[in-house]
Amino acid sequence: MSLNELAFKLNAHLTAEDTRFDAVLAESGVLEVICSNNEEFPINIVKTDTQLLAITPLFDVNEVKPDKVNELNEELLFISPAIPLSAIGRQGNSYILFGAMALDTLFENIVHELEVQAENTVDVLQVIEPLLL
Amino acid sequence: MGILKNILTAVRGGASEVGESIVDANAVRILGQEIRDAQDAIGKAKQSLTGLKASEIKLKREINSLESDVASYESKAVQALDAGNEALAIEVAERIAEIENEAGEKSAEHSALSAQVNKINSMIRQREKVIQKNGRELEKIKTVEQLQKATSSMSTNFAATNASEHRVSKALERVKKKQANWEDRMEAGEWMEGEASGDDLDRKLKDAGIGANTSSGASSVLERLKKKSGQ
Repeated sequence: MSLNELAFKLNAHLTAEDTRFDAVLAESGVLEVICSNNEEFPINIVKTDTQLLAITPLFDVNEVKPDKVNELNEELLFISPAIPLSAIGRQGNSYILFGAMALDTLFENIVHELEVQAENTVDVLQVIEPLLL
Repeated sequence: MGILKNILTAVRGGASEVGESIVDANAVRILGQEIRDAQDAIGKAKQSLTGLKASEIKLKREINSLESDVASYESKAVQALDAGNEALAIEVAERIAEIENEAGEKSAEHSALSAQVNKINSMIRQREKVIQKNGRELEKIKTVEQLQKATSSMSTNFAATNASEHRVSKALERVKKKQANWEDRMEAGEWMEGEASGDDLDRKLKDAGIGANTSSGASSVLERLKKKSGQ
């Protein structure tokens, strides 16, 4: 399924938990998805030869209290295994929450992954909020 | 492992902008070239393998035929001996020896061909491993490139919104507010549903003649007035 097709299907879908999606394929080739259960932190989807990557940018390292960066990194390492379907990483100066799916992942499972990732974002940010500026 | 180390070095070194090379372009070119070379080699090997396999099958068929001839001549030689015709038996035995020699030569050729076929098969497997390994290495590079692409747009957004402090806290607050609104609506929906089902229950009770006063007509009013006036 191309990202364009995925966008089309997501825009027409309503999950069992009443989540809707607003998906737009940007010129850069990134599929930007806003889930109605968390409209503040969009999920960016990109595609490689073997996988679909769903990435939620969380915050920039400059948004962390300067003396709390190590503590934050440690907390993220601790909570990462407990987060269902998503992992935490860093890309450049940005902390990200991401999930990887095989290219032949069923649409229903992609939807589930996105819905869970949108929820995970709120959960993770609530935990580390005290360490942010 | 090599590529992952390169990626880490590059990313740590600040190669986080889109379009910026994650790893040495030369390394990517070498990986790609190795894949193409392996694919070419496999293509050629498969072509020669087809020819070799055909020769191997043909030889095997010829050996089987010669062996069958030997068996047939052996039986005939025995028959000649049984008939007391030793001269004919010797002639047949000489023929058998010739055929066996020929079969022996063909068997040796067949063994050599089989060994060559096995060697080519093993070479193909090795090349396929190279393709898979290099493919996985390239996939790592592509993954990081795609990650850069996906995060670059938000880096710009962060930069734009960083002016306002507590960006994450404010965003979280808005998410929580929306969730609370949604929960309120859900609760309201449940309340409405409860009300609707309550009305429904009252109607059912009324229909069954239970609970509410069902005789509220003029006759019941007249009855009440009569009681009041002491009649």
